[in-house]
Amino acid sequence: MGTGSRSDSRPTPPPNSRTVFADYHPVVNFAFFASVLAFTMLLMHPLFLAVSLLVGVGYAFYLNGRRGSSLSLKFLLPMVLLAALFNPAFNHEGVTILAYLPDGNPLTLESMVYGVAAGAMLAAVVAWFSTFNQIITSDKFVYLFGRFAPSLSLVLSLALRFVPRFLDQARVISASQAGIGRDVSNGNVIQRAKHGIRMLSILVTWALENGVETADSMKARGYGLPGRTSFSIFKMSARDWGALAYILLADCALIGGMAIGLLGFDYYPAISDSAGLFLGAATPDTLAVLVLAVVYGGLCSLPILLSMMWNRQWQLSLSRA
Amino acid sequence: MKLRTLPILALLLAVLAGCTPASSSVPTGATGTAKMSITATNLVGKLDQLKEAKRSIFPSDGVFMPESEVQFTEGESAFDILERETRARKLHLEFENTPVYNTAYVEGIGNLYELDAGPLSGWMYRVNGEFPNFGSSKYVLKDGDVVEWVYTLDLGKDFDTAVGRQQ
Repeated sequence: MGTGSRSDSRPTPPPNSRTVFADYHPVVNFAFFASVLAFTMLLMHPLFLAVSLLVGVGYAFYLNGRRGSSLSLKFLLPMVLLAALFNPAFNHEGVTILAYLPDGNPLTLESMVYGVAAGAMLAAVVAWFSTFNQIITSDKFVYLFGRFAPSLSLVLSLALRFVPRFLDQARVISASQAGIGRDVSNGNVIQRAKHGIRMLSILVTWALENGVETADSMKARGYGLPGRTSFSIFKMSARDWGALAYILLADCALIGGMAIGLLGFDYYPAISDSAGLFLGAATPDTLAVLVLAVVYGGLCSLPILLSMMWNRQWQLSLSRA
Repeated sequence: MKLRTLPILALLLAVLAGCTPASSSVPTGATGTAKMSITATNLVGKLDQLKEAKRSIFPSDGVFMPESEVQFTEGESAFDILERETRARKLHLEFENTPVYNTAYVEGIGNLYELDAGPLSGWMYRVNGEFPNFGSSKYVLKDGDVVEWVYTLDLGKDFDTAVGRQQ
């Protein structure tokens, strides 16, 4: 390597190492998010909530970098705190009475703990959905659901595409209006309102014209005609089958654990877990619950693991060359 | 600190300031004595009907509060003494109250809630052997009343008790 000493000491990572998972087949992507989101919503066991929340937030950081994740942290942390505060205000079940609320109902420890758990669950779901949009893009969505629900997936992909497009166009219009002295911050209140309304009018006109053009374009390409096929570049390869098998195996283990009641956790009326993980003596189930938590962690961190493997392969290939 | 978080903190402080410690005092200047009890004896031996999570908190004889002498002041309702006595005994009570209409609804006592033992289960109160046909917060106590809070599994039909007078 003659490019310099930097690449000799530390090989450069492949350019798209963070989004390796997005290169997998849409079925694998969807199976992953469906499983993780379903288990996040179904398992109220604190250990499993913690695993999902930590890995989900970690993956959001990994994908979005510091800018995107600070936004989600600003949103997620208050959500957990608000849920923890509001649940005891409306729910008064529980054996540990701490004090009495002004309306006479008791404030219980159990309702506060449940509030934190419910907030963590909400935060984890939001964190996972923030990564969902980057991995399952609208073309993948239409590919996955185009056959089962053609009109719904079309509408969804149009809507998902149009929102950012409108925002971009609004920015263009506002910049050009500001250039001729018609910014919304120019003039008195009435003038400012006029400028704002003019921008809105331009945007709506553009949107209508754009809609007609899109419809014409789709018609010209024969959208909706019988026998019309659509091009897709997705193909299930060996690595996709491997990842799918990994996801399904983890699913089976977790569903099995749920079916035999290993992962149950009672918040009301008293906090108790049958496996004795946090309270009381450890039972024979404790080990099984811990193993299932590791399995769950492995399922949740699949995209990060794939990126790490990809990086390692890249480095190996560099050192061989 | 950001200004946006201030209203939330203020709200939290206001709620905390309104909280009272988990104990209560006997009314001063009591004018009457009643008898009060809280039982769910209809559930004894039928624990299979009770939600699984609730079986651990159910007293084996079904008695949450044995019949006891209770003092009250003039004009207090059956619900007032329930609230005071459960606090004094550190017994859990959840209710829904609309002070404007004076309509209290008892949802759960001792963590045994309505609907915990089937779709027709919940707490009822009877005074001197009959179910008053109106809410407990509207029942003004008289000296010597016997107030029983009982848990029904079938909208009160599992008690051999007549529905009493209208308000």
